[in-house]
Amino acid sequence: MNAISRKDFLKAGAALPLALQSLDLRAAAKPKPASPPKRIIFICSCLGFYEPYFFPKKRGDLKTSGYLRDMKTLDKMTVFNNLYHPGMDTSNHDSEKSFLTGSPSPESPTFVNGMSLDQVLAREMGKDTRFPFLNFSIYDRGWGISWNDQGSSIPPMHDESKIFEKLFEKEDLQAKKRQLKNDQNILDCLQRDMVQLRKKGSQPGKLDSYKAAIRELETQLTHEKFWLNTEKPKVENSLSEDPEFAFSTKISNLFELAKLAFRTDSTRVITLSMDWIDGAITVPGTTGGWHTLSHHGGKAEKIESLSKIEIDTLKHFNRFLFEMDQIKEGEGTLLDHTTVVMGSNFGNASNHTCNNLPVIVAGGGYRHQAHTVLEKPTPLCNLYLELLHKHNLDAGGFGSSVADMGLLKG
Amino acid sequence: MTVVFLYFPMSKACSTLSLLALITSVVFHAAAEKLNSSKRDQAILHFEKYCFDCHDEDVQKGNVNMAKWFDAGSFDGTLMFENLITAKMPPENKKQPNAEEKRAMLDWLAKRQAEHKPAPYRRISRHEFVHSLNDLLGIKLDLTGEIPDDRGTFDFDSDRRIKLTKEMLGSYFKVADRMLEFALPSEGFAPERIWVTNKIKDSHKTYNIYTRPYKEGILFSWTRANNGNSYSFFYDNFDPPVPGWYELTFDAMKMGSFPEDVSMEIFAGKYYYADDRPQAQRLLDVISLGNREMKSQKVTVFLRPGENVSVHCYSKHNFRQRNGKQGAYIKQLKARGPILEQWPPASYAKVFGNLPIKAPFREAREASPLQTNLQAIGAKVTVSSFQKGMEKEKMLDGSNRTFWHTRFKPTLAKPPHYVIIENPQAKEIEGLNYATWSGGNGNGQVEAYAIHFSDNGKDWGKPILTGPLEIRLANEQLILFPEKTTKRFIKLLITDAHTLDGRSLASIGKLDVITTLSMDDAIAKVTVSSRSTDDTKQVIKRFAERAFSSSLGIEELAPFYQASLDALEEGEDFVEAAKIGLKAVLCSHRFLMAPGEHENQSYARAASLARTFWLSVPDQESLKISSSDELTIKDIPAQVDRMIKEPRSKRMIHSFCNQWLDLRSFDKIAPSLKLYPLYNDLLNHFLPLETEAYLDYLIRENLPVGRLIDSDFSFLNQRLAQHYGIPGIYGQNMRKVSFKPDVPRGGLLTMGSVLKVTADGFDTSPILRGAWISKNIAGNTLSPPPEEVEVIEPEHGKDAATLREQIEEHKKSQACYACHKSIDPYGFALESFDATGQWREQYRVKKLHRATFVYRPKGYFDLVGKVDPSGEITKEKFSDVFGLKKILLSDHKKIAYNFVKKFFDYANGYKPNLKERLDLFTMIPEEPEQCRMKDLITKTLVYSMESQSE
Repeated sequence: MNAISRKDFLKAGAALPLALQSLDLRAAAKPKPASPPKRIIFICSCLGFYEPYFFPKKRGDLKTSGYLRDMKTLDKMTVFNNLYHPGMDTSNHDSEKSFLTGSPSPESPTFVNGMSLDQVLAREMGKDTRFPFLNFSIYDRGWGISWNDQGSSIPPMHDESKIFEKLFEKEDLQAKKRQLKNDQNILDCLQRDMVQLRKKGSQPGKLDSYKAAIRELETQLTHEKFWLNTEKPKVENSLSEDPEFAFSTKISNLFELAKLAFRTDSTRVITLSMDWIDGAITVPGTTGGWHTLSHHGGKAEKIESLSKIEIDTLKHFNRFLFEMDQIKEGEGTLLDHTTVVMGSNFGNASNHTCNNLPVIVAGGGYRHQAHTVLEKPTPLCNLYLELLHKHNLDAGGFGSSVADMGLLKG
Repeated sequence: MTVVFLYFPMSKACSTLSLLALITSVVFHAAAEKLNSSKRDQAILHFEKYCFDCHDEDVQKGNVNMAKWFDAGSFDGTLMFENLITAKMPPENKKQPNAEEKRAMLDWLAKRQAEHKPAPYRRISRHEFVHSLNDLLGIKLDLTGEIPDDRGTFDFDSDRRIKLTKEMLGSYFKVADRMLEFALPSEGFAPERIWVTNKIKDSHKTYNIYTRPYKEGILFSWTRANNGNSYSFFYDNFDPPVPGWYELTFDAMKMGSFPEDVSMEIFAGKYYYADDRPQAQRLLDVISLGNREMKSQKVTVFLRPGENVSVHCYSKHNFRQRNGKQGAYIKQLKARGPILEQWPPASYAKVFGNLPIKAPFREAREASPLQTNLQAIGAKVTVSSFQKGMEKEKMLDGSNRTFWHTRFKPTLAKPPHYVIIENPQAKEIEGLNYATWSGGNGNGQVEAYAIHFSDNGKDWGKPILTGPLEIRLANEQLILFPEKTTKRFIKLLITDAHTLDGRSLASIGKLDVITTLSMDDAIAKVTVSSRSTDDTKQVIKRFAERAFSSSLGIEELAPFYQASLDALEEGEDFVEAAKIGLKAVLCSHRFLMAPGEHENQSYARAASLARTFWLSVPDQESLKISSSDELTIKDIPAQVDRMIKEPRSKRMIHSFCNQWLDLRSFDKIAPSLKLYPLYNDLLNHFLPLETEAYLDYLIRENLPVGRLIDSDFSFLNQRLAQHYGIPGIYGQNMRKVSFKPDVPRGGLLTMGSVLKVTADGFDTSPILRGAWISKNIAGNTLSPPPEEVEVIEPEHGKDAATLREQIEEHKKSQACYACHKSIDPYGFALESFDATGQWREQYRVKKLHRATFVYRPKGYFDLVGKVDPSGEITKEKFSDVFGLKKILLSDHKKIAYNFVKKFFDYANGYKPNLKERLDLFTMIPEEPEQCRMKDLITKTLVYSMESQSE
């Protein structure tokens, strides 16, 4: 690495590359932690869940929820009533952007998103794994629910076979080494170029945003270089292919990949965005436009169809939780060491309203409360702040949070 | 700030809420009110005089209380401004400000409002990145799909609110590598090869009915108007060995005496067997067969390894007859490639200029006639027994239409049944590729096998592998050995086979070995005979000056020089070393952020023009003028002329149509086969091309802006003309077609592309279409929607009238009607067109069908309810779409104003502020016939560049 650029790079106050930090930790010969690592996954179903079927009819009794009563891990789940994101009053589908950031008014022309919760967590929790985080979505529109520290979308991965390849398939290490060296040469060159441009008096703001991207890319390269010496875990490809229910298969596979990634400790932070698609989808029992159906306008027939889609989604969610709970790890199960947050940016998608968001927290080893009904509308960010604290991040606030309310016990 | 991102592409069937998600909070800097107070007072007096009758404290019509806003001092004046400038307010029946007064009011509104300032730069889009690299390197390689779409929910790719992220930069690194490798491959160029084939792969036994062997080739004699499952027919014996351009020549002719051409669609996709799944394929091109004699039809297409070429044929006829005589007779396909336009490839001269380039002879040769790996490795095959006419050769010919069968006549062969493969050259064999034969009743199909190896063909030992095989499908099944083997003898022992009559039989449709054949291809490596550092510097300098659109000094070039020179010093090959510097240039700040840093204003203008019209970097001519700083504001019109004439300007047309008219969402929805059985992928292919050809023509020919709304022509071909009911158009080449006065087409609104993209494939919604016109054509500025309103979804139930009645509900509520009166009526006029853009008098309602859906050309629907396309907008009544067009045309300035705002946004990456809007509006000619498309574009660009120079 070029001496000037390196110095310049450090002077600029860059965070140490993740892998270097891990190296330092390792060098200190820290004993392997006795307890398994904590993981977390956020899932956003961007068209909500039909509220009367989702929320328990009887307070505190998940058996009275049409959708949830048959879930196998009910004792490891809490359903929340009355969580919301403030500042979403006239919002539409753009509310998706704020699901994990809590930034208000996403439809405003001057809206700049915040950093999403998973990214804040990944800064700490992502240091010791091959992938600091993973973000998935169901198609290629380029954004999901993960947003970087500048509020820009982190394009999610959506192609299951490519994700599997990235996680588990053997690479040509020699070629990869050459590639990393080449990329490093380019980065060094670009660093020199920026020093030169700054001297020349280039617009400072313009340089800054570019510089941030360069710095992060450099961090990533260092991280990748570190992991070159460790073989990827070997995993049997358990993805399914069912062309009849392509949408359903996609969701099922993404859950499967999340499970595999956690099980092999390839990452500890995952987001999964179930963003809606145009046109009709087919799930067992119905064919229809997911979005069109979500605007059911209270019509029984549409709600019936819509619920088939939502039941299908939750079926995969149920299986994900169950299988995570079958994998023994330490004193408990993989699910006990993984906080699972499932929710939506819409309370009522038919009316595009964002109050009383459906939110489930599962796993994570908490003493689950089955059903927590908050008396007043409460910022979802309060729960997010609490999750930061639960994962040892000392944050004073997150998004619109007011306080850590201690909603998760134990 | 007008219409904020109406996230239209994603909100297709979406609510009025999202369509109307309009002006919300704008950050105001109250300090901006340092204005000449007398001007302010005067303007307010005008407002009081002309507006307060309805919008003061007492009346507050439409919830607008201007008196209160003026008192408060800080308010968003955008809506007021837009209504005033487009003469929506004051309403026609009220007293009107004179020109001077109006100007004073607008001036004040524009000046008082300190808008959120756009960032002074933007990242270039992925489209711009890929086009630029292609032009810089002299190649054609579309890798846009490898780069994530970072547009998010913004209208235009150029939006300055989009920031460059690590992920984008990372993918630019990767794509730059791949494009440099394509242009200047370190491994050299594969030889050009030629494949000739007249065979179609059998992909489903039921597909045989669509084709039959005919003379020397194949006759496509049974097709149907719509193929929901792309029943395509894959050519055998041609697999593109490397990604590249291939020339496909079909010797083909039309059969039959009908006047229409037969269309051959050429696809690329992965072939697989026995599957009704829609096969994911890319449409490469369409060949129009009007010739009744055999003729060579050429298309040049990009193919990747793993893709096969397939064809599908159409005419307006359904050739539903066995052994039909009509259709397309394709004698053969000749594929040639990868082709390079010149040798050595143009990329070397582009990058290395006059440096001596060494290119060995690149050979062209016929592809090996060997069809199977068994033949290629010189294998010998023996079988336990065979039935006469079903010899082992029938299993080894690479086709599963013919098969090997154990002997059953005159005597029944006793088990064991087996196949032994001798591998005389001890090649590495990974396994076997097995397929059942594609006909028959299943008798004899293998259900279980065991694999044995032997060195001498006698001692076989224990099985290496055993397993079951599928008998249901005639697809290829792989039998993979635990590890590669070089053993001389391999035995496939059939341990169980399907039997219907209890006899012991076995049959196999196709058997081959899986092995990697070493390519003895002579790779032609192109080199540059130099190791001089000066030459390296010269190469980097030339390239960087083109990429950055600037002359560059030594200091600016030093970082890039160093990157290449370091590599050269480390012993890298000259070309490889240069590539490092080039990649750095392509990933640099100066290249990725626009505007870049330019030595003078001419360079900056050249770069901006090239980005706008070509989505690329300037050409040599622009750079030459710029080097002496001679591209002045005055020269821009001539440059615009020149650049529009270049074929590359089609990129702008394509990109602008995608973004402005939402055509990028065009493919997201497939119309219902039940309601619109005649809609097909051919039509889907041509519809957007009509729009692009039309807009291109309006701009090139500098026609009046009113042609956006109406004209007596469009660009059609046979398929589009069929769709629109225009007789007498044959052949699929697009051409200008004139319409009689009673044809509702002409203009954007009545194009199938627009009508489809504004519907959800089933129903049409006047609200969605109305909102589309309101936003994209009329440019209405709407207030935000009231909160929590019930959403009306289109539903032409048994009583189709309900939808209109429901929509008419808007009139009852002031809150709804304030906006919907500027939306719904447009949509009503377009009710005469169905979700695919065809004319209709009645609505179609889906009918149930029995059991599984079976395609039929007349579809499954009932006709109900008569379409009522009448309506009223701004107090003017119209009875149908003709009337609507007249109303829209009556205010050409409004159409032009909207158009320049959109073009400004497209070119600059932000919406013009009120001051800029006022200036843009002032440029619009009063005379409709003088208000011309290219002039408007030119003026907008000149205006933008003038203000940037300031």
